[in-house]
Amino acid sequence: MAPVIQRSMVWLFAFASLFLSSVAWAGPDPLVRLKGFSEFPSVNIQDLLKGEILSEPGALMDFKNGISAQTCYAVFVPAQQAARKLQLWNPSLHQDLKIFKFHPVNEPSAPMDFRDMSLKSNQRPIRWLLDKTRATTPTQSDLNLSKEEAEQLAACVKNHPDPQAVSACWAQLLQQRALAFEQQGFAGVAPYETGGETMSPVTQLRTMLREQPAVATEFAPMLRESGVLGQEGKLDPFHYWGMYEADHRAVLNLGAVYLLPVGNRYQLMDAQYYVSGVYYSFVTLYEVWPIQLGNQAASLIWRGDFFAAPVLQFTSGFERLAYGAVMVQELKKAIRAFQDDVKTKP
Amino acid sequence: MTRWCPQTPGAAFLLTLLALPFLLSNTNAASPLMATAQEFDADFDYVAGAPTHLRGANIGSVEEFNAAARYAVSPAITKRLLLRLGAEWQRSDLRVPDNVPLPKTLQQASAIVGLDCQLTDQWLLRTELDPGIYSDFKDVSWRDVNAPFLLTAACVVDADFQWFVGLRLNLYSQYPVWPVLGLRWKFADEWTLNLILPHPRLEYDVNERLKLYLGGRVQGGTYRVSDDFGTDHGDPRLNHELLDQYELRVGPGVSWRLLRNMTIDLDVGYMVYREFNFFDHHVVLRSNPAPYGQIAWHLRF
Repeated sequence: MAPVIQRSMVWLFAFASLFLSSVAWAGPDPLVRLKGFSEFPSVNIQDLLKGEILSEPGALMDFKNGISAQTCYAVFVPAQQAARKLQLWNPSLHQDLKIFKFHPVNEPSAPMDFRDMSLKSNQRPIRWLLDKTRATTPTQSDLNLSKEEAEQLAACVKNHPDPQAVSACWAQLLQQRALAFEQQGFAGVAPYETGGETMSPVTQLRTMLREQPAVATEFAPMLRESGVLGQEGKLDPFHYWGMYEADHRAVLNLGAVYLLPVGNRYQLMDAQYYVSGVYYSFVTLYEVWPIQLGNQAASLIWRGDFFAAPVLQFTSGFERLAYGAVMVQELKKAIRAFQDDVKTKP
Repeated sequence: MTRWCPQTPGAAFLLTLLALPFLLSNTNAASPLMATAQEFDADFDYVAGAPTHLRGANIGSVEEFNAAARYAVSPAITKRLLLRLGAEWQRSDLRVPDNVPLPKTLQQASAIVGLDCQLTDQWLLRTELDPGIYSDFKDVSWRDVNAPFLLTAACVVDADFQWFVGLRLNLYSQYPVWPVLGLRWKFADEWTLNLILPHPRLEYDVNERLKLYLGGRVQGGTYRVSDDFGTDHGDPRLNHELLDQYELRVGPGVSWRLLRNMTIDLDVGYMVYREFNFFDHHVVLRSNPAPYGQIAWHLRF
């Protein structure tokens, strides 16, 4: 029996070596790097290549409105292509992601960029946004607005309360915000002032990142070049506006997706610098590494999501664990949709 | 009265307690501020006099006043593991005709010791042990001490659908093991089916602050009566015996969110089933349906 076992072991080792050696990467080992800054102490690339998505709740935060999660997955396209796809990805084509609208915004933004804005709908989430907009006064609103925006929106809606005119009011407001961001970067993002206290989405974003120093250190080049932690942004992001569903309510948002090559890898940041309500801010960081599977180029992607919402302030204990679990499930839906798009539209 | 949550002692709880730190050893420690969640719940309810029967004979009307308060604090040990500590007090005052074999008061004063943890990205687990005194508080002794235990696992499918499975253990009860099943399904923008004991409900969101619901309330508990209870009520067999109580209520209600962290629930309806059961001696008292009203206050901070 012994020679049989020995032969089997030899074959087993030979097969294992062949299999392991079929995955390779150029430059520093991404797994070592991942271990250094992420919540994933060990990653099995083979599992990721089979389609598995790793997920971990982010570290707990002192910031009561914040929550985060990390995911890790792979796609079968070269890293450069994966990074570019992440930057320009249009998620609205996937119905289960509940995204009503998603449109690129030009630089400088023009009214035409927002021509598809429409709050004329029988869908309850959109009706909710319409009702909240109509209920906005110069001093009070359940929406995220600066004082000037509340005055502007209240005046605009007062004269024209029909859905089409309200949509035009929002289009104007979003375009002004987009222009301010394009010209001044994160310094041009006005705080939300109508909820009884002043909330700065950019401050919240910075707070959440500072609470996870290992991630902030890893993404220092991106955070500096995009202007989140530095003085002035040097990168040209992809700008967009969208209408998403969050917690069964429609949310208008403005975002910018930055892409930065760092050595042989790529860093991305998708920052929603304005959100009309329900939550305050949402930022997603990506790091993309090239990996080689035999003759096929593939990419290893780490993703970190940082989310701030008023509801989280008193969502603690078991409820917060549940909230984190829900967040991860929703993130996985989005990642699977992206993987499908990469597969079907390489 | 013990709500349908907490129940029985034992090895399962201790094993879970011992095993979890190993299961979760690769998670980071909690930061001190985020680490603590607190909750406080209080409620008061009244059940109108309900004709009650013993061995088929009407023995008169039983009226019920209930009050309860519960406080729990959940310090985080790691990002996936929370300790759960607290205290609970519940009191039922029963207005019963003389000589009816029912205590005037049933009370629970217990501690809450438990763990909440996230086992995987989809599965959450709650274990809770409620050691305390469950009695008519006439002559409190070690025999009045019980430790019901609840083990519940929740599967988070997505934001709109979660289901639950669990086990309620109460060694003193006639039915010491109860399986627990439940689900929460937000099947439309304004509708949620919240089939979770002890308050299964169909909910309608009027707006962010106001919710209407049609639901039920399942209550139950096991209590030890005093040493001379049976003698005083003409049936010495019932001295220091165990009494199971079950109650099912249905009715509409309204939930009003006064502040982000404070909610008040008001509901009225019918108590459709109530049973007091000295199960060791087959002495069972059952009540006819009767109206009830309840107010509850929930605070999170």
